[in-house]
Amino acid sequence: MAPRLLAGSLLTFCLLAESCYGTVLFSTLQPTLVVSASPKEGEVLRAGDDKITVTWGMNQSFPVGTDEAYKQVKVKLCYAPISQQDRAWRKTNDDLSKDKTCQFQIIVRPYNSSSQQSFDWMIERDVPTATYFVRAYAYNSDGREVAFGQSTDGQKKTNLFDIQGISGRHASLDVAAGCFSAFSVLSLFGFLFLEKRKAKTSQKS
Amino acid sequence: MAQTELDTSWTAGCRRKESFFFLPVDAEHKATELRLFSLAPPHMRAFHLTWISLFSCFFSTFAIPPLLPIIRDDLNLTDTDIGNAGIASFAGAIFSRLAMGPACDLIGPRLASATISLLVAPIVFSTALASSAGAFILLRFLIGLTIANFVSNQFWMSSMFSGNVVGLANGIAAGWANVGTGATQMLMPLIYSLITRLGVASFTAWRVAFIVPAVFQAMTALLVLAYGQDLPDGNYNQVIRNSINKPKGSLSQVLFHGLKNYRGWILGLTYGYCFGVELTVDNIIAQYFYDRFDLKIQIAGAVAASFGLANFVSRPIGGVISDTTAKRFGMRGRLWSLWVVQTVAGLLCFLLGRVNSLYASIIVMCGFSCFVQAASGLTFGVVPFVSKRALGVISGMTGSGGTVGAVVTQLLFFSGSTFSKETGISLMGLMMIVCTLPITLIYFPQWGGMFYGPSMDSDFMEGAEYYNLME
Repeated sequence: MAPRLLAGSLLTFCLLAESCYGTVLFSTLQPTLVVSASPKEGEVLRAGDDKITVTWGMNQSFPVGTDEAYKQVKVKLCYAPISQQDRAWRKTNDDLSKDKTCQFQIIVRPYNSSSQQSFDWMIERDVPTATYFVRAYAYNSDGREVAFGQSTDGQKKTNLFDIQGISGRHASLDVAAGCFSAFSVLSLFGFLFLEKRKAKTSQKS
Repeated sequence: MAQTELDTSWTAGCRRKESFFFLPVDAEHKATELRLFSLAPPHMRAFHLTWISLFSCFFSTFAIPPLLPIIRDDLNLTDTDIGNAGIASFAGAIFSRLAMGPACDLIGPRLASATISLLVAPIVFSTALASSAGAFILLRFLIGLTIANFVSNQFWMSSMFSGNVVGLANGIAAGWANVGTGATQMLMPLIYSLITRLGVASFTAWRVAFIVPAVFQAMTALLVLAYGQDLPDGNYNQVIRNSINKPKGSLSQVLFHGLKNYRGWILGLTYGYCFGVELTVDNIIAQYFYDRFDLKIQIAGAVAASFGLANFVSRPIGGVISDTTAKRFGMRGRLWSLWVVQTVAGLLCFLLGRVNSLYASIIVMCGFSCFVQAASGLTFGVVPFVSKRALGVISGMTGSGGTVGAVVTQLLFFSGSTFSKETGISLMGLMMIVCTLPITLIYFPQWGGMFYGPSMDSDFMEGAEYYNLME
């Protein structure tokens, strides 16, 4: 009994110490939040046009008092594994300070333990084409992550949806490119033609 | 000297009937002095025109890497696509540099450089139209062709400046132009953020930003056409072809003559391991500092920029070292200083991959940048002496060797995950040291080599007669 208590408190101390020293590991977070997103599995949404409704709240099957430390919730848009393949800048890292899975913040709200909260988010124009899910992190008063919830399962395989980003191309850019190309090529041949003519006239004289 | 008729036609620059030049000149009317703050035609004007136009070519070619964090999301690129595009950007230059050599010999550096700049400027602008990985790779390949202008830059300087300052002229012209690789890594992100601040979406803003390098490149090419002059006495199509400076024979003769000169091949190999390594490092260094030391992207970009910006002084200093050692020791001095500087650069590169702290890495990187860039400058202190008749071909072989080296080092050490980046950097340093050894094999009958003196009697240091007649 005593050794177990010692081991347990040592482990807790280590975990706490880790949090104090700044590194929060994702694997230490408890999945106590229930998060859902409006897009159905495999649905394709358009950036800048469509909306996502996210809903989050405490999972009532956990004992009362688990969420005492939660002060704030940040809901984020995260890359699914298929969109992380061969892209090192979106890599998942257990150390949350180095983790690049969730790069877009949907909303920040103070935590409400009594009811579920929701938010309608217009997908911003800088969201790229990829497959996503939604995750919410709960923060304590020190600003450290203490719990999370996500709209997909633990392996990140279900309930994923696609977003089609804007291309960024514009008709005016296309026209400008055409005019500039014409100018560039014509001025080159214009110069060459004038040079040839000058050479001919100086040969004659 | 008296000045008689002065024809200042705008296409031909200044043509002089009698020899009047603002700078002191030698028997071939090549300048024997370099006055950096002068725009005097034809020598100094050519100098400034050529370094600015090559600057714009480097600016365009390396405009993409600093904006990759935005582009890779817009075009849905993978790491494989980005690596392939990086290799493609140098691969095109291998062939364009080889072709630029004979082109300069035949039509002159002015027309050759302006043609490629004006034909590729629309492609730079068309970066704004890219919407797939394939298009992206093709664009980098085509834009990389402009690096061929390096050959015309060096060729033009070798035609305008005399032996005693050609190393310095080549070094400063190339060095200041290479600053373009650093300037673009700092400026393109700034231009992009300026455009986003006007309310433009990020995926459109990066496209609009490419107007700047495209217009800059076209403008400099037009200036070269309007105000440049191939030779001290006029342009290629105006000067009567009796000067020793002009190539004798057809394209295939000139090409053959250049290709059978073994020194061109050796210099091509060694240049691949100074300038080629520099190009590869330009592509990977920002990511290296970002990943290994967890720097923010702007700081990593600033560190990357400082690597390229050092070119402002280090490459010219290479040229100075070449000319100074030549004054005392002739060609042997040039060859020894090239070998020493490039070997030290290889050692520092090896060290860069081994140091573990951020500050030590930055210091070693700065030292490495100075030595590797000086080695590039020193190489082109030797190139003008290899062949007079086929100067363009030799310049093209050497310049092309630089890009081959870049492709090889990038393929061997920095694609795929065989090595960590730091191991790749150290191995690259070792390869540099080994591939610099062939310099010991270079031997000029009239000037000697690293270990043997000249085998011919020459009245004065540069053996001009042998050089003029036989090479």
